[in-house]
Order: sequence, then structure tokens, then C-alpha cells
Amino acid sequence: MHEPPFVRDRAANERLEAWECGSCGYVTIPERREVCKRCGEYPDWNEVQLAERGTVQSYVVQQRLPDEFETPLPVAVVDIPQQGGGEPARVYGLFTETNPDDVEIGMEAEADFRTMFDIDGLPVNSFKFKRPRGDRL
Amino acid sequence: MRDVAIAGAGIIDFGELFEQSFDEMAEQAFMNAVEDVDHGIEPGEIDAAFFGTLDIANDASSGLGASHSTGLFGIPSSRVENACATGSTAFRQATTAVRAGQADVALVLGAEKMRDSAEGLIEGAALDQVWRGRGVTMPAFFGMRATRHMHQYGTTREQIAKVSVKNHENGAKYPHAHYQFTCSVEDVVEGPQVTYPLNLYDCCPVTDGAAATIVVSEDVVEEYTDDPVWVAGSGLSTDSLLRGDDEALVGFPASTQAASQAYDEAGITAEEIDVAEVHDCFTITELVTYEDLGFCEKGKGGEFIDSGAPELDGETPVNPSGGLLAKGHPIGATGVAQINEIYEQLRGEAGAVQVGNDPEYGLQHNAGIGRNATGSISCVNVLSAERP
Ligand SMILES: [Zn+2]
Repeated sequence: MHEPPFVRDRAANERLEAWECGSCGYVTIPERREVCKRCGEYPDWNEVQLAERGTVQSYVVQQRLPDEFETPLPVAVVDIPQQGGGEPARVYGLFTETNPDDVEIGMEAEADFRTMFDIDGLPVNSFKFKRPRGDRL
Repeated sequence: MRDVAIAGAGIIDFGELFEQSFDEMAEQAFMNAVEDVDHGIEPGEIDAAFFGTLDIANDASSGLGASHSTGLFGIPSSRVENACATGSTAFRQATTAVRAGQADVALVLGAEKMRDSAEGLIEGAALDQVWRGRGVTMPAFFGMRATRHMHQYGTTREQIAKVSVKNHENGAKYPHAHYQFTCSVEDVVEGPQVTYPLNLYDCCPVTDGAAATIVVSEDVVEEYTDDPVWVAGSGLSTDSLLRGDDEALVGFPASTQAASQAYDEAGITAEEIDVAEVHDCFTITELVTYEDLGFCEKGKGGEFIDSGAPELDGETPVNPSGGLLAKGHPIGATGVAQINEIYEQLRGEAGAVQVGNDPEYGLQHNAGIGRNATGSISCVNVLSAERP
């Protein structure tokens, strides 16, 4: 019942493909629309590839969630740079394999391909984030 | 365009109202508003109704929800929904209709049953979204501002906690508040963690409630009251944390925009606001809202609460009713209840929580989430004791 959104967004979810506004440089993921959500223009949209490392802008650690989530769960606002320059994309990032006490603003977060959840037994895959291995305390 | 005034306000005691149906809550709030009108009003004189609810309990899916609970059939009645700004948007729509001459007497009715279902908003917010906040709950959306605000401006955990201490102190004096207890900074900081950095007392409770307001045009106001409170200005705007806007990491740009619209329409500045009811779904929300509304400079919210300015006897009292943190947050009713509190404050009828600075201008503010974007909608209404 929820499949169509995940089919539409597969390139974004599974390959970190995003769209850059040709007018103001805003990067949107996963959705691409004709109108830019920041500048309001109807620009040309350039397909861009995001890097697999981003920077934490803010975060929280969730302690109380529905049963299907593991807690404590760090969640961050992560800016993910484009490969080849330009503005980063800003996304919510769920963390995995990371001690909540190690998360801090400004730290690098590595995108890690995972099964996020499944719908009627079919996996929906995308990226979680983790503290890069070399940086672990 | 005509001037618009408030002529009556009604509320029920907020709380866990398992024994009351949606219609019973709404009906009682409506009757309390009718009885509040100084010179009396016949329900048949009401010629439009604006009904604010998210309809969480599934009892109110259209304007009929207002008609059914009040008996006001045969007039235009519409449901207004705008996330947590639902009640304040319903008020804005009602005043707009009266201004434009579509109605002379309009009812604003806000109601929400939050406790009837075990499924919370937490489930709906958290599921089946890959990039737009899969697993991100309400405290997380708002808590992001707390972590960043502390990092960027040196705001302390204790300053954030003071919002809860102040609002619970006020709520303990406010007869309709869900929670009537007081707490200390230590209680807040050492309480059970919900979503770091926010603990239990940083979060508003899950509360049932209803509130109603009667607004009238300048042409008929004298029939109803000699002491009206006037609508001076209103603003409504949208924004998103995820638009690549760094300001949105430490505040809610939609609130600043809505406030700016409302101040412009009222012809005043933030300095002239004497009392405010603002959206404190979480402690951090109120702290950054001081800044968003211009009560203090950006980054100075911590200093603002340290100064005592937002306390009952301070220079700019904020949330004399106890706010959402103590009074509760029955979503559709929240904004309407805030309007009612400002109405009582400007008439000098707020009892134990009457602010001490003889207020002339009062402000009401809500900010809410839509499509997993925090602060995506914000509504501000400015009321005045004198005709604008
Ligand atoms: Zn653009």
C-alpha cells in the first residue's frame, strides 16, 4: 500500500542521487519538482551525486520510540556534500553502530547502506549514518 | 475593512477527559463562551462558525462537527486545520470573514480529544519516511534546535529548563490547566530522558480540551459588550528546517515572518507587546520563540529568561496560563485557549495569573509541524485593549 513512493524515490534512496537547482543551487532529495523550494524559480535541475560522508549540523538522541526501533537512537540533521562541489543536501540521518555519547555537532557521519524497514516482506533500502571507523573513540 | 473585536470567551478544564465525548467538550466550551458575553447573546445571532481541530478522535471531519456540538445549523460552518496552528488559524479565518463583511458575529471553536486512542502522534510521525524523518518524533524535531542553540550561542541546559519551571508555576495558579504542580530546575534537568537533550518536564502533556471565542464586527459590538478586546493584526507563514536555511537550525523563520506580518498590520513593534501566549510544546520552543518574535535578540533567549522578563511580574510576561507545558496541548483547542487568555489579560480579568504591567497589547502564537518539517507553519495574532 505504500510502495509507489519508494519506487519513485529509489535512485535517491539507494544511490544518493539528488537534484540541484540551476537557479540558486539548492539541493533536494529525494523529491524533484519543477519549482525550487528555496528560490521559487522554475529552474533547470541538474542531477548530482552526493558523497557518502556528511557533517552533523544538530542532533538528538531518542529514548522512547515504537517497538520496531532500537533505542537509544541518535538522529541528526546532516549536510551531505555533492561530489564535485556545490551546496550540500540537508537530510535527517538515523544512526547505527554509534555510541550516542560520541555524536556531536561538526562530526563527520558516514552513510551506510541498510535495510530501513520492509513493506509486506519487501525490503526498503536506504542509508543510515555512523561515526566513521577511524574516528571512533 | 471593518474592525473586529472579541466579545466572549469560553474554555473547559483541560485534562484527561475520558468521561467526556468530543461533542460534550465542544458544547461546554461553546456554552461558556455564550455565557461570557457581557450583555448576553442568542446563539441564533451567530452567523458563521470556524471549527479548529485535527480530528484525531475521528468525531469531527467537517464543519458539521461544530454545528452538531453547538446546534448551530443553517449557517456557514467550516473546519480549519493547520497542524499545531489550527486554533489560531481558525481565529484568523473568523476575524477575516467578519472584517470582510461576510459575518457580523462568528464563532471560533477549537477542540481535540488526544487521549481516546492508544496510538499517539508519535507513531504517525515516525513511520515509513526514508529521508523525511523516518524515526523522528515530535521531541526530536524540536530538540534539534536545543542541541544547536546550546552549541551556537552557549545557551545552558538550565536556561532551557527555566521555561518549564516558570510555566508550571503559572499553571499551578491557572484553574483550567491540566497540570497543577510546580517543579524546580533540578527536577527538569534530572528527569527521565525522552529525547536528549529534552526530558519529561521539557515536554507538554497529552491533553483533551476545548475552547470557544465569539468575534463581532465594529457595527454590532456595542450590543454585546462595553469592554471589547480588539484584533489588531494577524500573520501566517511557512518554512522548513530542510530548505538549506541555517537560521532554521536555531529557530523557526516562519514565526519571525508571521510576527512581522502581525506587527505591521497592528502598526506596532515587538517592544510594545505587554503579554504573550506562545507555543511551548517543548521548553526549547518557547526559548527560541522569544527570539523569533523579537522579544530579545537572536541567541539571547537564555539571557531573556534569566532576566525574569517573561515571568508574571516581568516586563514581557509569557504564558501566564502555564502554556502548553502545564495547561496541555489539545491541538485544535490550543490556539483558541491562548486567544481567550490574552482576552482576559487585556480586560484585567485573569485572576491569579493576571500580569502586573497593565497590558495594552497581547500576542498569541502557534508553530507546528507538517510533512515532517519542523516549524513548517506559524500563526501570530495581536490583540489590543484599545480600538486600533
Ligand atoms: Zn532554487
